[in-house]
Amino acid sequence: MRNLPTTLWIAAAFAVAVLTAGIPSQLSAAEPAAMSHTIEIKKFKFHPDKLEVSLGDKIVWINRDIVPHTATANDKSWDSKLIAKDAKWETVVNADMLENYFCRFHPNMKGGVSIVVK
Amino acid sequence: MLHKRIFTSVIAIVTAISLAGFAFAKTPAELNDLEIAHVAYTADVIDIRYAHLALAISKNPAIHDFANTMIRDHSTVNDLALALLKKLKVNAKDNFLSQQLNNGADGLVDEMSRLKGKAFDKRYAENELAYHKAVNGLVENTFIKNIQNAEVKALFKDALVIFKAHEVHAEKMVAALQAGN
Repeated sequence: MRNLPTTLWIAAAFAVAVLTAGIPSQLSAAEPAAMSHTIEIKKFKFHPDKLEVSLGDKIVWINRDIVPHTATANDKSWDSKLIAKDAKWETVVNADMLENYFCRFHPNMKGGVSIVVK
Repeated sequence: MLHKRIFTSVIAIVTAISLAGFAFAKTPAELNDLEIAHVAYTADVIDIRYAHLALAISKNPAIHDFANTMIRDHSTVNDLALALLKKLKVNAKDNFLSQQLNNGADGLVDEMSRLKGKAFDKRYAENELAYHKAVNGLVENTFIKNIQNAEVKALFKDALVIFKAHEVHAEKMVAALQAGN
């Protein structure tokens, strides 16, 4: 009689562990994992200059030029500020993110991200 | 009218360069690596001078943005040039062309200092376009071909990409001012 509660507790704990272990795997199957994209700034151009991304994805800009650049939304709603040589700046794609951007220091440098809903 | 003024400025700079070379029996094509480095450093410093003048006189935000970019980029290139010369354990060498560029800049700073408002903005923008065109032509067609040291040549190639972007930026700045923006 004294062992019965302990057995029940072990069984209950095992059942909870099995059930909760299943929850994350079901969620990850429903929502694709966020991706990370890299845009290199080289010779005064964004590479690639057009990129398809999804909500929640991460975008990383890396400056390979010797002078600083920025990645700035055309309406300036988001702005990397100065990205020095070999430095990075990253942001996570959200629904309000303006897709077209440029370099504030060199306005002829232009890029764009297209947010696709999967 | 605008194109005529730009053309005149370019001709003036190119002529100055040519005449200076003739007077001292030397042309830009005869300069060695250390002299070329001095010319490039001088040209950067001159454009930084113009930019500081623009920040002091102009009230136009687009002119300020351009001037700040000139200060940032030309200072960066000159810092890299100095670091490279230090690494190579050599010094840049003064020459006729550096002196000619400095003399021309002194005159232009005097001239622009007497201007205000839109007259200054227009003169500054037009000169930036003419100056970058002239210097870029010299770097692309003469200096890069003649530089012997591989590291110095590589820096000039990188710098040319930057200065060509400045030239396009200046073109648009001139066009915007012409359109009244």
